[in-house]
Amino acid sequence: MPDSLSGRISRRTLLSSVGIAILASGSSAAARSLSGTLPWEPFSADPPQPVTSVGWNFFKPEEARAIEAIVDRLVPADDLSVGGKDAGCAVYIDRQLVSDYGVSSRLYMKGPFKPGLSTQGYQGQATPAMRYRQGLAALDAWAKQNKDGKSFADLAPEDQDALLKEMEAGKVEFPDGVDAKAFFALVLANTMEGFFADPIYGGNRDMVSWRMLGFPGARYDYRDHVSKHNEPYPLAPVSIAGAPEWMGKKG
Amino acid sequence: MRRGIFTLTLFASAAFAGDFSQASEQLADHLIRGQYQAIIGDCTACHSKQGGKPFAGGEPLQTPFGALVPPNITPDRETGIGNWSEADFRNALKKGVGHGGKRLYPAMPYPAYTKMPDSDISDLWAYMRTIEPVHNPVEANQLPFPLNVRLLMAGWNGINFSPEPFKADPDQSEEWNRGAYLVQGPGHCGTCHSPKTVLGADKTDEALQGASLQGWYAPAITGSVANGIGGWSKDEIVRYLKTGSNGRTIASGPMSEAIEHSTSKMDEADLKAIAVYLQTVPPLDDPEQKSISADDPQFKIGAAIYHDTCSACHGMDGKGAGQLFPALADNAIVRQPSIETLARLVLAGSQGVHTKTMKTTPAMPSLAWRLDDEQIAAVLTYVRNSWDNAAPPASASDVASVRQSLTDQ
Repeated sequence: MPDSLSGRISRRTLLSSVGIAILASGSSAAARSLSGTLPWEPFSADPPQPVTSVGWNFFKPEEARAIEAIVDRLVPADDLSVGGKDAGCAVYIDRQLVSDYGVSSRLYMKGPFKPGLSTQGYQGQATPAMRYRQGLAALDAWAKQNKDGKSFADLAPEDQDALLKEMEAGKVEFPDGVDAKAFFALVLANTMEGFFADPIYGGNRDMVSWRMLGFPGARYDYRDHVSKHNEPYPLAPVSIAGAPEWMGKKG
Repeated sequence: MRRGIFTLTLFASAAFAGDFSQASEQLADHLIRGQYQAIIGDCTACHSKQGGKPFAGGEPLQTPFGALVPPNITPDRETGIGNWSEADFRNALKKGVGHGGKRLYPAMPYPAYTKMPDSDISDLWAYMRTIEPVHNPVEANQLPFPLNVRLLMAGWNGINFSPEPFKADPDQSEEWNRGAYLVQGPGHCGTCHSPKTVLGADKTDEALQGASLQGWYAPAITGSVANGIGGWSKDEIVRYLKTGSNGRTIASGPMSEAIEHSTSKMDEADLKAIAVYLQTVPPLDDPEQKSISADDPQFKIGAAIYHDTCSACHGMDGKGAGQLFPALADNAIVRQPSIETLARLVLAGSQGVHTKTMKTTPAMPSLAWRLDDEQIAAVLTYVRNSWDNAAPPASASDVASVRQSLTDQ
């Protein structure tokens, strides 16, 4: 056995040890082994379904008025861009609330539910859909009680801003135990998502925020531009669903 | 590898042969030559199906006349060709008449195999006898009446077929003649690459000018620089046939099967001979194509789509990336008269061929969900008329019919 003499494992030793290892690991070796060509299927794609901007899937009419008013104060129309309402932020939130996000389908939702640290995010039992339903009801109830019977959407923009700031600072107590500060944080986060996410999800209409920032969108190759320092990036943004130029319109 | 297959045969002959080395070596050579004939003829391309045993019968061929199923040609006596004689086999390959006088349909390329010399067929027959017999009944003839009457093929042969051996051209080199023989004979390249008459025969005066079949367009493989492979170097042709990828293109569709099972296993000298011959095949007189103007509205839409969707891999300059992403610039395949293959690649995506030397199988993603017919036509028009390409524009209705035929399958 020159192999074992020289300190190397002989083929027989190796094969028998592998055999033992296979026996030891049980008879059901479930690993899939592939050889030859990698698996591939024609027409394989898993694209996101574009949302339509017509109607509401989650919000009731009063809720829709309130959320449109909120997103329009969080992203006010100015020289740089249209407001959150025209950018479709409320539509984005509406569609999210009837999807997996709205029902927390990806989260562990079985309790116990205890308040966590601020770094841990929301730890309660309510799904985002429930929090919007309760939060918007509490907001309008509070407004009607404290602002001459007016709902939030009917307040003057300055009053809306003042109330939102109080919510953000935790200085306002909503009825029915709704945490106004946490609700504000939720709406702010979702509004930003809607404003900056791909238009295919309902917000960022016509890539308005990307045009404002000069963000290139769903591109994945910049080799032609990496070495061009201190030059503006010349190309218009592109969405997962395409760009106006694809339809023969000027972007 | 080849040697291993014949070990058993060698054992058997060793027991009987007095002169072990000479007889068995001759037999081994006989079989190895026969195996090479099976590779050149690419029998398994049709006579095997995915997951099935080699030579035991194939997937139905959807011909314009109806379905034909390539039969079991293993030596099984009941369902294969185990009860055939060498003369039966030779007649099938050279005359289209099988055991018991049964007429074959010319989906079996006997009009090409007829050019094979008897000695090669004898080698092939010897090899075919060594294949594992598989019991697999195949009903080959699934044509509608009256085409299902095999005797009709006697008439077809009278019009379309002349059983003649290959005639070498004394004015050409030995290499050219070897290439011509391989292409016209056992390699039966024209079965896919030559346009067909209404009777389904190769149009001999348009040989290798490109043809549509099974939802793909088999491009022209003539010496044309515009549409054929006249612009490729001989080494590039050899590399394509050997590996499936040569920096200009990556094989897909039926050609990737032909490369995987046949040409990648052929001798380099034979591939070189094929290259030498193909580049002398005269092209048809194509009208000079002019590029579409960059102001054309469809071209401009196509450019925008290309920049946003295709350029990441194929490059803003259309030059691709070596063996991974084919160059579209100055590419004859892009300029074919039919957009069938191009539309198919964009719609369904495609996977590159897997060969011993090229194992990566780079794939093109399906874009059917992202681009509508109008947009695919625009981007094809842009690619067909950019970077030294010039070809007629693509229309949305052409793309729509490709999409329809692919989703119906």
